[in-house]
Amino acid sequence: MLTTPPTLYTRRPSPTTAEFTLTTCPPLTLPLRVALSLLFLGRLVLVLGVVMVCYARWTISPFYNSSSTTSTTASTTTDTDTSDAVLGLLWLLSKAHHTYLGHLSTRIAAAIPLWLLGLLSAGALYAAVFLRVHTTESLLVLRGLGIQTATNNSLLFGFGSTTRFIPTEKIRDVLINEAFRGFEVRYYLVVVVDGESDVVVVFPRLLPRKDIVESVWRGVRGCLYDSQGRVEHYHHHSPRQQQSDNSGRTVYDKG
Amino acid sequence: MPEHDGLMRIFWPTDLARSDLRGVVVGWRNSALDVFVVAILEEVEPRNVESALKIGTLFRNAPHPVSRIYELCGQSSMHVLGVSNTPESVEVDPSWVRVLTGPDHRVPSVTCSRASSIQIVLFERPLPGRMQYISLNPIALALGDKHDGFRNDPPEPGEENEDEKEERLKKEKKQQLVEKLRQHSVIRRVPSAKEKALAKIVNQINWAWELEKLLQKNVSRIGTRPKRSLSVSERVVESATTARDMVLVWIWDMLTVYVLPVIRTIFVLGLMSHRIAAEVLLLMLEWRARPRYAALKDISATAQQVEIRLQQFCYWPMQYVTLRLRKNDWESVTTSHPDYIRFYNSLWLVANDVIIGIALGSYIIDNAAWVAEEISQLLSTYTVDALQSSISWLMGWPAGLKLNNELAAFLGDLFLWVIDYWSSCIGALTPALPHIIWFIGFSSFAGASMPIALFSDLLSILTIHIYSFYLASARIYHWQLNILISLFHLFRGKKHNVLRNRIDSCDYDLDQLLVGTILFTLLFFLLPTVVVFYLNFAFARMAIISLKAVFDTLLSCLNHFPLFALMLRVKDPRRLPGGIRFELRDTRQDFRLAPVNAAPDPPTPKQLPSTSVIYLKSIPLDFKAMFHQYFQMGHRIRKHYLSPRVLLCLLTGKFVPPLNRKNLYSLQYSMLPARRAGILEMWDAVNSLPPPRRRAAPIYVPVLANGKSRYPNNYGNGGRSRIYG
Repeated sequence: MLTTPPTLYTRRPSPTTAEFTLTTCPPLTLPLRVALSLLFLGRLVLVLGVVMVCYARWTISPFYNSSSTTSTTASTTTDTDTSDAVLGLLWLLSKAHHTYLGHLSTRIAAAIPLWLLGLLSAGALYAAVFLRVHTTESLLVLRGLGIQTATNNSLLFGFGSTTRFIPTEKIRDVLINEAFRGFEVRYYLVVVVDGESDVVVVFPRLLPRKDIVESVWRGVRGCLYDSQGRVEHYHHHSPRQQQSDNSGRTVYDKG
Repeated sequence: MPEHDGLMRIFWPTDLARSDLRGVVVGWRNSALDVFVVAILEEVEPRNVESALKIGTLFRNAPHPVSRIYELCGQSSMHVLGVSNTPESVEVDPSWVRVLTGPDHRVPSVTCSRASSIQIVLFERPLPGRMQYISLNPIALALGDKHDGFRNDPPEPGEENEDEKEERLKKEKKQQLVEKLRQHSVIRRVPSAKEKALAKIVNQINWAWELEKLLQKNVSRIGTRPKRSLSVSERVVESATTARDMVLVWIWDMLTVYVLPVIRTIFVLGLMSHRIAAEVLLLMLEWRARPRYAALKDISATAQQVEIRLQQFCYWPMQYVTLRLRKNDWESVTTSHPDYIRFYNSLWLVANDVIIGIALGSYIIDNAAWVAEEISQLLSTYTVDALQSSISWLMGWPAGLKLNNELAAFLGDLFLWVIDYWSSCIGALTPALPHIIWFIGFSSFAGASMPIALFSDLLSILTIHIYSFYLASARIYHWQLNILISLFHLFRGKKHNVLRNRIDSCDYDLDQLLVGTILFTLLFFLLPTVVVFYLNFAFARMAIISLKAVFDTLLSCLNHFPLFALMLRVKDPRRLPGGIRFELRDTRQDFRLAPVNAAPDPPTPKQLPSTSVIYLKSIPLDFKAMFHQYFQMGHRIRKHYLSPRVLLCLLTGKFVPPLNRKNLYSLQYSMLPARRAGILEMWDAVNSLPPPRRRAAPIYVPVLANGKSRYPNNYGNGGRSRIYG
C-alpha cells in the first residue's frame, strides 16, 4: 500500500528541458499521508525506546553513581551553561526513567547481555534512521548544458541524495543496454561519458522495465539532440511541438 | 550558426537587488542567445551604458588590471543585454531581453523577441571575499598523483610485484573495453557554442559578485543624475575622517620604511639558513649506497617522519609566496584556493601535532622511570617469557599432538638458546632504557608523531629476534615442503621438467625409488613438528606487523588528516565545491501531488515564451572524497595482505613480501610536491614578494550619488576621476 511499482513522471516546462522522475511513491493521498506520518511516529518511538533502554542500562552499570552526582551538582550550580541542552535532556531522561516505561526498560536492559543490547540498539537505530520506504530517481535533461542523474534515498531529512551532472560536451552517447541480472534480462539506460572507464547507469537502483526505459530514452534524445535535424524545419514543427508540450505529462505504469 | 533553435539561455543571479526602477541589464554575451547577467544598472540610459562599457568608464578604479577579467571570463567585452522594467512602448534592439522584476518577483520574467523558449538558470553568487567558488570538478585536496613516478625510481619490469601487475592488466583490459565502446558510437556530434561555454560560465559565475560591485561603484559616472552637494555636518565628518586617515597613513609609512625591512631581512636570513640545514639533512636521509638499495628513510619510520617534516618546512615558504601573490590579483581568481586549504591544513596539523606532543612529552619525561619499567616489563613478558613458554609447550606434546620428540627438542633448544642470549642483551639494555625514554619524551616537543615513529622503530629493533626466528623457521619449512613435493613426484614416477615447466613421467631405478620413498616418509613424519614451530613464529610476526600498522595509521592521521577541510565543510560548505547540480523549479507540475490538471496560469498581460526555471547549485564536497586517500590506502593494504596469495605464501612458508612503501606512503606524500624547490629557487621566491603596499587612504565612495568628493579617491592607483560640481 505504501509503495507502487516504479512510476514515471515527466516534467517538461519547455521543449528543451525535461525531468524524468521515477519513483515508488504513489500520489500523496490522504490515507497515504496518514500512513506515512504513522510510520514516522513509529520510527520516533523506536529511537526513543532505544535511548530509554540504553539509559536504563547505564543506570545499572557501575559507572552510574559517580557521574550522576556530578551532573546533579552541575545542574544545581550552573544553570546558564552552554551544556544546558544536554543537561536538560539528561534531566528529562531521568524523569522518564522513573515512570512505568522506565521500569520496563530497566527490566529489559537487565535481562539482555550487554553485547546483545549494543547490537540490537545499533540495528534498531539503523532501521529507524536509514531504512527507506520510497526510492526516487530522476534524470534531468537540459539542452545545451547536460544531463543530471539524481538518486534520492528519501532518508529522514533528505540526506543521502546524490546527484551527478554530466556536461553535454562529455556525453558520447546515450543508449539502452541489456544485461543479465540473476535469472532475468534487464534493460537499462546508459550514458557513455568521454574519458571515463565506467558508464553511468541511469536509474541504477530501480532499473525499470523496458517500456519505461525506452520512453525515457526517446525523451532524452529529443530533448538533448533534436535541434540538429530540425534546423531548417523549425517553424513548420513548432505548433505540433507546443501541442505535445501541453499533453506531454504522460504517466507510464509498470504492468 | 547552429544556434537558431530559438532556445535562449539566461543566467541570472538570485541575490541581485530586486527593484521596480527602470534599469539596464549588463553582462556577458557568450553567444547570440546565451547571455549571462552580471548587473542591473538603474536609472541610466542604455545608450550611455553601452558607450561607457566601450570606453571603459565602468571599470574605473579597478584595484587590479581589467584585462584579467576578460581573459578569465573568456569574452572580449561586456555588453548591454537588455532592459528591465521598461514599458513595452520603448523600442529596443531585437536581441535584447526585456526583464520584469521587482521585490515581489522571485523569478524575473524574461522575454526576447528572438527566443521561442527560454531557460532561466538562477544561481546564487559565491562571495569571493570569503573564498567561496563553484567548480565543475571536485576540489582537489591532495596534490595530484603526478609524483608517483618522480619520487621513487620508475618500476622496472622485473621489479614490479604481483598485485601491481594484476592491477595493470585489469586496467588494460578495461581500456580495451572502453575503446570498443568508443567504436560503437557512430555519430560524433559537433558541440555547439552553447555547450562549449560551460567552463567559461563557471568562471563568470565566480566573477559575478566582484564585477557587479565594481560596476555599481562606477554607475555614478554615467550620464547626468540628480545630485546635491554635501551638507555642513557631512563636511565636518568628512574632514575629521580625512585628518584621522592622514595620521594613520603617516604612522604606517614610518613603520614600513624603517622597521619592517629589518625584521623582514632577519626573517629571510633565518629561513634560508634553516633551508640549507634542511637540505643537508635531507641529502643524508635520501642517500643510497646504490640506486637499488634502500635509503635510510625507507628503513626507519623516524627518518621518514623527519623527512616529511623537513619537506614540509621547505615547501611552506613557496606556498606562502604563492598565497601572497594572490593578494595582487582579483579575489575571484580561484586557482589558488586549494593551495590555501592545503597550506593551512598542514600548518594546523603541525601545530596540533606539537600541542599533543608537548602534552605527551611532558607526561613521558615526568614519568620516564615508570614508563621505562613498564616497557621493560612488557618486553620481557611478551617477547621473552611468552615465547619461551610457548616453545617449551611445543617441545612437549602440544594439544595432544605427538610430535617428533628429538626434532622438537633440537629446534626448541636452538630457539631457547638464542632467546636466552637475547634476554641477556635486553638485560644489559635495561639500565639505559630510562634515558632512551627520556630522549623520546624530549623528542615529542617536535610533535607527537616523533615519539610514535620512535616507538615504532624501537619495536622493530627490540623484536628483531622474532623476525629472525620467523625467517629461519619459514626457510626450513619451505625447504622441507619443496623436498616433499619433488619426492612425491618421484613416488608417483614423475618429475618436474624445469625447461618446460611441467610434470613429465620419468623412469626411475629401483634404488632411486626406494631411497626416495624412505626419505619421503621420513620427512613427511617430521613435517608437523616443523609446521608448529613455523606457525608459532609466523603468528608472532603477524602480531608485530599489525602493531606497526597501528602506529603507521596513527602517524598518517597525525600528518595528513583533512582537519581544515572538515572544519570548512562544517563552517562554510561553499568553500569546498564538489561539482554543480541543477534543480528544475516548476511548482505547477509536482509529481507528488495527485494527478489533477493544474489550473492555467493567471492571465499574464502577454503570453510568455515557454520558460523553464532552473536553479544552479554548488554541491559541497562529500566526506568520501575528503577521505579518498585513506580509502585508497586501506584498499591497497587490504588487497595486499588479505589476499589468497598471501595466505598461500603463509601456508607454503614463502616470505610474505611487505607492501611497497611507495604504496603505503602515497598518502603521506600526497601533500608535498614531487620535487622540492632548490635553495636558490626559494631565495628568488622569497625575494620576489612585493614590498608591503603603502597604506592608501581608504577609498572614499560618496554617500550620495555624485556627491562632491574632496580629494581624488584613488590614492594609490593613479586613475583619473571626474568630480561633479
